Amino acid sequence: MATVEYNRIGKSFGAVNIMRDVSFRIEEHQFVVLLGPSGCGKTTLLRMTAGLETVSEGDLMIGGKRVNDVHPRDRDIAMVFQNYALYPTMKVYDNIAFSLEVAKVQTDEIKRRVEAAAEVLNLTPYLQRYPKELSGGQRQRVAMGRAMVREPSVFLFDEPLSNLDAKLRAHMRTEIRQLHNRLKTTTIYVTHDQIEAMTMADKIVVMRAGKIEQIGSPDEVYDTPASKYVADFIGSAAINFMPGTVVTGEGQPAVDTPNGRIRVLPGAAVKPGQKVICGIRPTDAVVSDDGPIRTRALLVERMGHDVQLCTAAPAGQFLAIVDRSRPFAEGVEVRFDAAPEKVHVFDAETEMRL
Amino acid sequence: MAVAQVKRIAISDSPIPWLAPLVALLVVFTIYPLFYNIWLSFHEYFPRKRAIQFVGMQNWQQLWEDTRFWSSLGVTFVYFAVALVFEIVLGMAIALLLDAELPGFGGLRAILSLTLVIPPAIAGMMFLLMEDAQFGVLTYILNSLGLLDKTTPILATSSTALAGVLVAEIWQWTPFMVLIFMAGLRSLPAEPYEAAMIDGASAFQMFRRLTLPMMSKVIAVAVLLRGIDLFRVFDYVFVMTSGGPGTATYTLSLYAWQQTFSFIKWGYGATLSLVSLAIIMVLANIFIRVFKVRW
Ligand SMILES: Nc1ncnc2c1ncn2[C@@H]1O[C@H](COP(=O)(O)OP(=O)(O)O)[C@@H](O)[C@H]1O
Ligand SMILES: [Mg+2]
Repeated sequence: MATVEYNRIGKSFGAVNIMRDVSFRIEEHQFVVLLGPSGCGKTTLLRMTAGLETVSEGDLMIGGKRVNDVHPRDRDIAMVFQNYALYPTMKVYDNIAFSLEVAKVQTDEIKRRVEAAAEVLNLTPYLQRYPKELSGGQRQRVAMGRAMVREPSVFLFDEPLSNLDAKLRAHMRTEIRQLHNRLKTTTIYVTHDQIEAMTMADKIVVMRAGKIEQIGSPDEVYDTPASKYVADFIGSAAINFMPGTVVTGEGQPAVDTPNGRIRVLPGAAVKPGQKVICGIRPTDAVVSDDGPIRTRALLVERMGHDVQLCTAAPAGQFLAIVDRSRPFAEGVEVRFDAAPEKVHVFDAETEMRL
Repeated sequence: MAVAQVKRIAISDSPIPWLAPLVALLVVFTIYPLFYNIWLSFHEYFPRKRAIQFVGMQNWQQLWEDTRFWSSLGVTFVYFAVALVFEIVLGMAIALLLDAELPGFGGLRAILSLTLVIPPAIAGMMFLLMEDAQFGVLTYILNSLGLLDKTTPILATSSTALAGVLVAEIWQWTPFMVLIFMAGLRSLPAEPYEAAMIDGASAFQMFRRLTLPMMSKVIAVAVLLRGIDLFRVFDYVFVMTSGGPGTATYTLSLYAWQQTFSFIKWGYGATLSLVSLAIIMVLANIFIRVFKVRW
């Protein structure tokens, strides 16, 4: 187990800079998720951590030691690659055993550890197969087994579930997290899937174009997104944005938007006249007969417990997830309100949280 | 109009018009000569009578007692084995080296393929000159290094002549192996190596556990292509030593050529070349079976 620390990390490929000033710290036993859209530099950061990519700027510390120039084999890390990178000419057993063989561990000890890992990952029946004779999910587990037997102090995962179907993905998500609860190995997990991040992480690092946008627990990034970008990225149903201007009415700040006057928290650092963007999550929109947001229901999607209402509001489409107790019909007017503490306010210019 | 076009395509859907030219070529230049050769091996040409006559198994029986046949077979095997080993090992070593992206290696790779442009007979002539006892540069270098006795002409000494020919062979054909191996190396996935790096494997361990097994098919094809060619070796020995001194470099092909065209023993020459063909086929098949590579 070890801490990992990024200290003003920058990365350039030739003359092209793709990452700048990335700093954060991962505590022992923590499960940290690097979250961001494709191309934002997650893989590059992970590969730098593994030593597969040079660090252009800054210091990379593992277990308190600067490892910028340390060979991958000496970093005591294990990595699960996005497309698994199994050894195609080795059977599953040898794939898992390889690192131990190379480290000259005794044969019976290798056998014990490989079989233990295979047991945990339900791979025992497949040990004598070649990777190409396995399904995607099985390959993924072999890659995990290969990482596990090394008993490293840091696990690195690069979108390990992105090649699996939805059901298997959900299953592996809990498996990986349970594994972590048992092994407690410091883990850095890269994904572009906010659900994976929300369900698995102790701490989420939201990245955008080679920079860190926000660091926080899943609740923090969900409840207090640091920017419009984070608010947009996190959450299963897309958040509703509406531009507006701050007014101070009835002793409490509010924002005049095309969707009507939205009340916001007094704590928000807003000045009258300031141009802002309000964000309301679909789950935070409440149906209210005298609510300011007047919409017309376009589509009523029943999702079992809830109803997803896709409506037309003056500021554009407005999405709401509401209780199914009320009957909704397409075409009728629905009015929404939102509690002031649930309205996220971002500066129109910088798009940062106010 | 459109209908006619469709019909024309429909006619061409039959495989026969496409295959006919190839089959014709195959029959004229391969099948017929092969059967003629088999027929010829049971006959012999008698120059005095100016006639080909049936001799039964005589040619095949003669093989067993013909010490020159056995010696040429031995020479061929030695030539084949030594050249193959050198070309594979050197070829792989150079391919691994050139696979590294160092400045200037692109040019080196291009230069390497130049040896393949030279006709083997010309390459043989070049080495004949370089190994000349009086003015050959190779002779001079070997003499200066003390590796070769000054009184020993390389190509005219029984113990060194075959090595002298092999140098030309290996010089010309190692680059062929390099090119094949390099193409193979280029097509290997990068990720297993990254995984192996993290797993702590050394360069040698990666070569042995990843590169060699992943390249096994490429190596097998290269060995097969080159091996068949090597077994038929003719040009280098013909140009450089004509099989001499004595029979030190007489290969099977050269011997078959001599019997057929110098001694006008067409039947026996045909028998010798059939033996050569049979050996190649048996070896190639054993090789393919043994080397049944699977991932
Ligand atoms: N080897 C490379 N050479 C040049 N640019 C690269 C290389 N690898 C990645 N990049 C660039 O770096 C950026 C981040 O890539 P990556 O880390 O793979 O993103 P992610 O994993 O978040 O999708 C991308 O814009 C990509 O084009
Ligand atoms: Mg990636």
